[in-house]
Amino acid sequence: MFGLNKIIPVEPNINFLGLRRNFLIFSILAILISIGLLSIKGLNLGIDFKGGTLIEVSTKNTSIGELREILSSSYSDVSLQEFGNENIILIRLQNKSNHESIETVNSVKNLIQDKVVEFRRSEFVGPTISSELLFRGFQAVSFALIAILIYIWLRFEWQFGFGAVVALTHDVLFTLGLLSILNVEFSLATIAAILTIAGYSINDTVVIFDRVRENLRKYKKLELVDLFNLSVNNTLSRTIMTSLTTLLALVSLFIFGGEVIRPFALTMIIGVIIGTYSSVFIAVPTLLIFKFRPQDEDD
Amino acid sequence: MKNYPIWKSFTVVSLVLLGIIFAIPSIIYDESSENWFLKNKINLGLDLQGGSYLLLEVQLDVLYKEELDNFVDSVRLISRDQAVKIEKINIQENEVVVFFSNKEKIKNIRDSFFQMYRGITLQINNNKLSIKLNDEYRKIIQDSAIKQSLEIVRKRIDESGTKEPLIQRSGKKRILLQLPGVKDPERIKDLLGKTAKLTFHIVDNENTSALQNNLAPFGKIIVPDMYDENTKYLLDKRAVVGGENLVDAKGSFDQTEGHAVSFRFDTEGAQKFGKVTTNNIGKNLAVVLDGVVITAPRISSAITGGSGIITGNFNAQEASDLAVLLRAGALPAPLEIVEERSVGAGLGADSIAAGQIAAIIGMVLVCIFMILIYGTFGALANVSLIVNLFIIISLLGTIGATLTLPGIAGIVLTIGMAVDANVLIFERIKEESLKQTKVFQIVKNGFDRAMSTILDANITTLIAAVLLFAFGSGPIRGFSITLSLGVIASMFTALMLTNFLVYMYLSFANKKELKL
Repeated sequence: MFGLNKIIPVEPNINFLGLRRNFLIFSILAILISIGLLSIKGLNLGIDFKGGTLIEVSTKNTSIGELREILSSSYSDVSLQEFGNENIILIRLQNKSNHESIETVNSVKNLIQDKVVEFRRSEFVGPTISSELLFRGFQAVSFALIAILIYIWLRFEWQFGFGAVVALTHDVLFTLGLLSILNVEFSLATIAAILTIAGYSINDTVVIFDRVRENLRKYKKLELVDLFNLSVNNTLSRTIMTSLTTLLALVSLFIFGGEVIRPFALTMIIGVIIGTYSSVFIAVPTLLIFKFRPQDEDD
Repeated sequence: MKNYPIWKSFTVVSLVLLGIIFAIPSIIYDESSENWFLKNKINLGLDLQGGSYLLLEVQLDVLYKEELDNFVDSVRLISRDQAVKIEKINIQENEVVVFFSNKEKIKNIRDSFFQMYRGITLQINNNKLSIKLNDEYRKIIQDSAIKQSLEIVRKRIDESGTKEPLIQRSGKKRILLQLPGVKDPERIKDLLGKTAKLTFHIVDNENTSALQNNLAPFGKIIVPDMYDENTKYLLDKRAVVGGENLVDAKGSFDQTEGHAVSFRFDTEGAQKFGKVTTNNIGKNLAVVLDGVVITAPRISSAITGGSGIITGNFNAQEASDLAVLLRAGALPAPLEIVEERSVGAGLGADSIAAGQIAAIIGMVLVCIFMILIYGTFGALANVSLIVNLFIIISLLGTIGATLTLPGIAGIVLTIGMAVDANVLIFERIKEESLKQTKVFQIVKNGFDRAMSTILDANITTLIAAVLLFAFGSGPIRGFSITLSLGVIASMFTALMLTNFLVYMYLSFANKKELKL
């Protein structure tokens, strides 16, 4: 039987926890910067959450500049953007009321009718709906986090639950911070991505915690730091393998899945990387604050 | 084969076969097929097949205001009968307060009013009667308005020729529409945007001062012309007859008047119309649609046949759309579009193509990677992965779930995550192989030890997916469906199919030692 799996030794012995201070500092900085970015720059909210009109058109022999010229004479707040290739253009408008917007779609369509080959999509989200969607998105994320935590709490000791919360919060904030820097559009699909990242990150953490728990029973005398290191090493090849296969699928989605799904794929890619990192370097070290056994009191 | 029960192999093989067989209808995807088997195919969401999603909100405030106006009219009539003078009427957001000149008959007025509007809240304070729209009364108005609106919307959509529309109530005051394959959403929105309340009123040409002062006396209303808002008419507030008495309306062409809408009344409507036209020869009759006068011809003779035509400056499309609206009937209140998502067939087809390519390439990459890392075992896991994909497709098809673009993303993501369970098992086997040499014992321990971790890891993902379904909307639900099905299918394929394949391989290859 052949296999490249021997690249990762069966019992690797890397001192992950020895580096914990450096990574802790890095993560704290990253979180602080993320929070700063989110409060100052904020997220690039799409029409799902901001309300407004979006029209995607395909054109022929018409530059984005020409369309902009036609539309900006009637609308001051119009923004145009090439979408994937130069013949496909996204037109965005900010609407104030429900009524106005439906007329907007019609009149925009009339203005550029003769320059356009196909109206590929038109979306309109009214102000009441966008605030409802934002609220429901927030609700979904909160409930999911709470439900996952309850599950962890039922299946593990509460200390593990704490470690999972820390890692999860870290992942969500860090991902949101990167979305803010990269100016990725924040839409309903991004909420779905964040929730999936939460699920994925916990999944990764749980696998390592499972092993920590098993090793705690198995090696009663081992120092906690060494025991945690051993657990991370035991599960290391699985952690890497699963992250890589997931990333392979996501990169394929990012490259080939089309323009509409790209922000979703990018968010997931960022989240999977951060989630994998945090399971090893944040979740496990967090367990060190707790005394799992009486003899570890000096630790 | 050692320790592998026949019933277990039978179960695994039959489930796999079922998974593959029921994926066939979705893979062939014959849209028009009536075959019971081929009908079990995936439904494509509007974002993939093209179409319009509309969310409409019934403007209940308009209705409440109308009801308050009715209160005012009724209280005026009652007090006239009782010969009580009204000093002042205040119309507030939720109530009408009537001040009478004396308080003697106020209880009688209240009682007669209550006869007409049961369930309303009435309060007397000295010479003051307040009539309040309470929550229950509002709810009655709301429910009947939504019910009526749904019916009218359904008729209008049917008349417009849209196939397989989905029309349902959403929340308290909204109507949700899914219209697959609609090519011109603007026309649909136009059709839904009109209340289409048609009424016929006698025109009052004598009272010219009312028009000049723009102040309608009791029992009259001032209505602008459809084409010129400076032209105004003074009309009787009471309609002679309304659109509810129409039985048919059609776009027609008249030699002298151009495009027109011809209509026919039911018996009751024809009688009313005949009586009014007989008694009012010489006067003008205004045709009012949604608060504007379309036309106001002079009644030259009695019209007793119960049919007529409405002329205006229509073109052919406008005349036929007006006919559609009249046939379907009037909405109780205006509808406002609060959300729209329309996707053209071109973008839908592009999305499907892109999703397929992403899925196939993702699949190939993961398969290559698994073989590079785990060799033969990796190849076995790949068989599971492919079967996993078939199972997801067949489940989507048989439960009649809707596949959306985020749903495709969920499938691609599942391809990456589904091997996780296999990886967990193989890594355990690898560890076990260092501890002992008995091949089947190694495999058994590997699977057993990995089991609880697999369950824990997948349940957390399932929790996220289920909550996403509960709180998400539209296309996002598609994502949570494929992700949940993918997670469930991957547990089955890893714990049962990979298990079966590994045992098969080890027995047939007659392995004496296991190195992974």
